[in-house]
Amino acid sequence: MTARTHALVLMLALAVPARATAQIRASEIGSMSQIIDGTKLTMQYSRPRARGRDTLFGSKFVHWGDVWTPGANFATTLDFSKDVKLNGHPVAKGMYSVWMVPRKDSAWTLVLDPKVKRYHEEPPDSSAAQFRIAVHPEAVPFTEVLTWSVPAIRANGGTLAMQWERVRIPIDVEVQPSLVMTMSAADAAPYLGAYDYVEVDSTGKPGKRKVLTVTHEDGTLKGEWEPYDPYFKKFAMIRIAPDWFAPGVYDKNGQVYEVYRPEVTFEFSRAKERAVSLQMRDDEDNVYAKGTRKP
Amino acid sequence: MFDAHSRRQFLGAFAAVLAGMLLPRNRAWAVGRGLDSVGPHPVPRPGITGEKVLTKEQLESKPKLIALFDDVRAIPEVVDGIRCNCGCTNPPEYYSLLSCYEGKGMAMSCVICQGQGRLAVRLHKEGKSLDEIRAAVDAKFG
Repeated sequence: MTARTHALVLMLALAVPARATAQIRASEIGSMSQIIDGTKLTMQYSRPRARGRDTLFGSKFVHWGDVWTPGANFATTLDFSKDVKLNGHPVAKGMYSVWMVPRKDSAWTLVLDPKVKRYHEEPPDSSAAQFRIAVHPEAVPFTEVLTWSVPAIRANGGTLAMQWERVRIPIDVEVQPSLVMTMSAADAAPYLGAYDYVEVDSTGKPGKRKVLTVTHEDGTLKGEWEPYDPYFKKFAMIRIAPDWFAPGVYDKNGQVYEVYRPEVTFEFSRAKERAVSLQMRDDEDNVYAKGTRKP
Repeated sequence: MFDAHSRRQFLGAFAAVLAGMLLPRNRAWAVGRGLDSVGPHPVPRPGITGEKVLTKEQLESKPKLIALFDDVRAIPEVVDGIRCNCGCTNPPEYYSLLSCYEGKGMAMSCVICQGQGRLAVRLHKEGKSLDEIRAAVDAKFG
């Protein structure tokens, strides 16, 4: 190649924009995040593929008993925006590198290490700073690409799961509840009873009339409309401020799955300690129903 | 909505709720709401006025909101001390809920900005302090 050709190639190289981010990888980089009741968990990981390898765990690729990152290249990371509990064990908020110790016939170990930036060939030694718990593998149909997901969500947590080959590792995540569902009988007493209740439009003109009955059951203040509302059914009244409540709707298993806040706020007014009336306000702070205690 | 007796209870209880929020959180998960995900309420800027709040002329397309914007304009020292919880991507120049009622007027189309503004105006008219209004905003929108 002549000096002239060298110069031409160099000029072309400088003229063509670099595409540094374009790279085909055996383990493409992925991420997964989930917010549950205000707690965000985020995983960043490289996603190895089986690529025709039928057996991965207990093979030369992932040895039984070795400390292995459930990902590839740089260690998988897991970040919690608030303190959580994993399988019932408290974990402080923050970012960790994620490791596992797979075993053939017994529980695996999940290890969260505070040193985040580690290459997969540099697994951490055991230390007091680590979070370590037993996790239990389940048999599942073959999964080609290592996948972290949150396949189950409930009001106060969910299931974080790693799945690859024929193994699934479910980890229960419990988040800090933003609301307290329960209420003592003494605190609930001033609100108990039935309220004549009328919907009002933006001009204050009355519309549908109902009765709201407030009870205290299983440690929770509950409301129910008559005529019966098939969507709200009997709902939790969750205290968000003194005399202010937001409705929580139950699923068929009796678990609150959605809280209508700020869409619906019950605001009670008291006389001589006892609630005597209420207003329902929407998220624009408009009154759309009023109620007074039935005699 | 509160008579004199229940009003005292309300104010006292709100103060207790506020105090609870200021206490360190228990590792065993304290009762109440955490504010770490949304940040603190802003400090009202000294000398803040409502002169930048959109006017009747600027709200021609939203006549139903004129009264709300007028009410917000009247209490800038309160609304400037409240965080906007709408979750919209507020530009860096947005300082407080008051900012949502200025400039491009996010509050013209965002029901959360409107709801926070109406709540602040209502509670201010009821005689609540800024801290009590903040606690109510946190309870409903936090």
